[in-house]
Amino acid sequence: MSIDLLVQALLNGFGLAMVYVLVALGLTLIFSILEIINFAHGEFYMLGGYVTYYAFAVFGLNYFATLGFAILAVGLAGVVAERLIFRYLRGKTLNAFIVSLGLLWVMQASAQLSFGVLDKPVPSAFSGIVRAFGLVISVERLVVSLSAIVLIAALYLFLRWSRPGRAMRAVAQDADAAALQGVDIELVSALGFGIGCALAGGAGGLLAPVFAVSPAMGALPVVKAFIIIIIGGMGSLPGAVVGGLLLGSVEGLGSLFMGSAAVSVLGFLVVILALLVRPRGLFGGA
Amino acid sequence: MPLELRSVGRRFGGLQAVADLSMTVAPSTIHGLIGPNGAGKSTVFNLITGVIPLTSGAVFFKGERISGLRPAEICRLGIARTFQATTLFREYTVLQNVLVAAHLLSAPGLGSALLWSSRYRERERRARERGLALLQTLHLAGLADQVAGTLPHRDQKALALAMVLATGAELVILDEPMAGLAAQEKAETTSVLQRLREQGLTVLLVEHDMKAVMGVCDTVTVLDHGLRIAEGTPREIQANPAVIEAYLGVEEPGA
Amino acid sequence: MEPSRGLSAPPGRALSAPIAGLALLAAGVVALPQLTRDSYYLDVATTILMNLALTMSLRLQVSTGQLNMAHISFMGIGAYASALLVTRVGISFWAALPIAAVVAALLAFPIGGLALRVTGPYYFLITFAFSEVVRLFFNNFFVDLFGGPSGLVGIPKPSALPWFGRALTFTTKLELYTLMAALLLVTAAVLVRLEHSRFGLVASAIRQGDLLAETLGVNVFRYKLTAYVVGSLVAGVAGAFFAHSHQVLHSSDFGLEPMVLLVVFTVIGGTGSVWGPVAGTVLMTIAGELLRELHHYESLVFGVVLILTMLWAPDGLVALPGKLARRRRAGVSLAP
Repeated sequence: MSIDLLVQALLNGFGLAMVYVLVALGLTLIFSILEIINFAHGEFYMLGGYVTYYAFAVFGLNYFATLGFAILAVGLAGVVAERLIFRYLRGKTLNAFIVSLGLLWVMQASAQLSFGVLDKPVPSAFSGIVRAFGLVISVERLVVSLSAIVLIAALYLFLRWSRPGRAMRAVAQDADAAALQGVDIELVSALGFGIGCALAGGAGGLLAPVFAVSPAMGALPVVKAFIIIIIGGMGSLPGAVVGGLLLGSVEGLGSLFMGSAAVSVLGFLVVILALLVRPRGLFGGA
Repeated sequence: MPLELRSVGRRFGGLQAVADLSMTVAPSTIHGLIGPNGAGKSTVFNLITGVIPLTSGAVFFKGERISGLRPAEICRLGIARTFQATTLFREYTVLQNVLVAAHLLSAPGLGSALLWSSRYRERERRARERGLALLQTLHLAGLADQVAGTLPHRDQKALALAMVLATGAELVILDEPMAGLAAQEKAETTSVLQRLREQGLTVLLVEHDMKAVMGVCDTVTVLDHGLRIAEGTPREIQANPAVIEAYLGVEEPGA
Repeated sequence: MEPSRGLSAPPGRALSAPIAGLALLAAGVVALPQLTRDSYYLDVATTILMNLALTMSLRLQVSTGQLNMAHISFMGIGAYASALLVTRVGISFWAALPIAAVVAALLAFPIGGLALRVTGPYYFLITFAFSEVVRLFFNNFFVDLFGGPSGLVGIPKPSALPWFGRALTFTTKLELYTLMAALLLVTAAVLVRLEHSRFGLVASAIRQGDLLAETLGVNVFRYKLTAYVVGSLVAGVAGAFFAHSHQVLHSSDFGLEPMVLLVVFTVIGGTGSVWGPVAGTVLMTIAGELLRELHHYESLVFGVVLILTMLWAPDGLVALPGKLARRRRAGVSLAP
């Protein structure tokens, strides 16, 4: 087993992992602000995929413009969902679980009825491969990974330096204290949910050319997102990044040595171990 | 010597919340723990009752080491406490709250519960009677079937006290038993605590109302920044310059 | 939540409400076959009864503050254990059923013990991870034992049971319905009894404040683990029944989708009362059957129903009459 092969496997794992980190970041952002786990998160990912399909593949818009449009459109959809439904469920995890399940079914069924159940392929925006240091990566994968990293960095900067971002962090830490300091909880809640969904939509747009779009495309990324935030810590953004890298490594290396079923079992065993040893994840707060 | 703290310390990361604290709570006394905000009083309560582990030192109760035990075990040894926040089962009635507190069995008692044996029924009947009698002593018997979450504040405080008494504890630790009470209600609480002391109960409490503390406590320990800075009778404490400097120099609003 | 449950009423009166509830359930269960012998309706009814056992036992766990996403896995363990005991070891269903249930309960000890080291959403996630491991195990490993992705086939129906000189058979839909009804009524009686005993009183207190309960001397871990094991035992019984009435087992029968349905039935009905899951399971199953004709629209309508129910009846359907009555008394409008 040469080093090159190992590193190539790792690279393949990382490439997609960054996009799953986007999904995970959206999920964990929503959890940290509203204290609910949104099971319909994968459907917003799927929405981003379909927006990309129609704008880019059908309508012929520039790929990056499409991506921006998908992010905005899905973000807006998220805000609507929050204002109509989730704002009444802040903090009520069990009820929110049921409601998000209902939303999942509604969105799935709507997608099936509107778009049909079959896969719709999306052409690659970028062709060709890049060789460096004895490793191979397709230009498309490279763009996808780099775009994901750019979005993650943008999120970090937003949360760190902007006023709404700081307000969101305050609410995530202690909603009551933040309210006492004059933070508009409703605004932060809507914004947080919207941005969380926007991240999922962006991820859907990024992976649409890679995997094709279908109504059920959100299921797998959401499971991976859960694994990532369990490892990294619910509510922790750096944790999601590290968790994603770890998952990417495990899957990349794992696929070298064992079949996919075993890799799945391994993934879940890692999750159980992580929860037992450090239930708050690597970075989860007290 | 029911309760003894020996060099108890608790560190949170870089912060030493409680440092090298030694104190003794004598039996059948009312012992107050005071200090400015952030002095570490709640931490001390959590350390004594096993909610958080010590990072140094040890706690002894009736000669036995209790530090390191789980809260349920510490309660079974005779120490019960109230919390500032969730100290009631809000969805339950007053009587149900007391019945839960009176339940000090470790095993759920599945077998006898399933069989509904007469011994079981007898035990439950007696538990009910004892619960009502306890409520009677705190003037809560009339509210026995009212949902705890709907009670006015002073009755919630009284219920919290009833619950710790229901556990049969010899030492009760009260976290701000007078918070939010009117002057008349504070006086009532004071006389209830004094009556309980006459009956042999030991009380350790944290309070911010200085007048109330000085009026009810036999001994007062003063904490500041996790350190004990004074201990003695209320009169001694009020005259202690270090205490005055740390704490009593600031007039409590509406005290 | 009605305050008059548990021990706040004198022991005599405390019994009447649960006994009435059980009597009503028994009456309903007995009445159904008198009204119809249609094979389809008996099938649906048998499934409802099996799901009742599963949701009422899930609710026992939820009442102590734990949402156990591996509940369906113990149904699976009971199912595979019973199936293999009968087909491979050759014992009769009537011996296999209790053994399979005990196997499920025994496995619940270590799994529950590990899962209960964490709480809240972490507990939810860790039990979900366990359930996936179990499902993948049945799906991909020891294929000659469990049948792999194509499933385990050829499981016989329960053998005839000698009963006072006659032999009771369990081959027709009606007979299987009767078997499940008997199992359910026993289960319901046990769970109702638990609920209205000291166990139920303390269990719900744990849900309302586990730290408070702990400092009042309650061994919270032991209560939760007891609920976990008892719930898993019941799931194992349901699983054994499922194996021999269905006669085919697929790992997907014990995966996320059926588990999610169990959670929906339980929460929609209301977790505050032992009868909540009954309302939720019966109503939602009937709704599902009625909507089945609509195919894709079925999911859509179901989803909308879930959302609206949770927004307008956050404590579940069973709590709704009480809430409406209180609101009318208080003179408040019925808008959500």
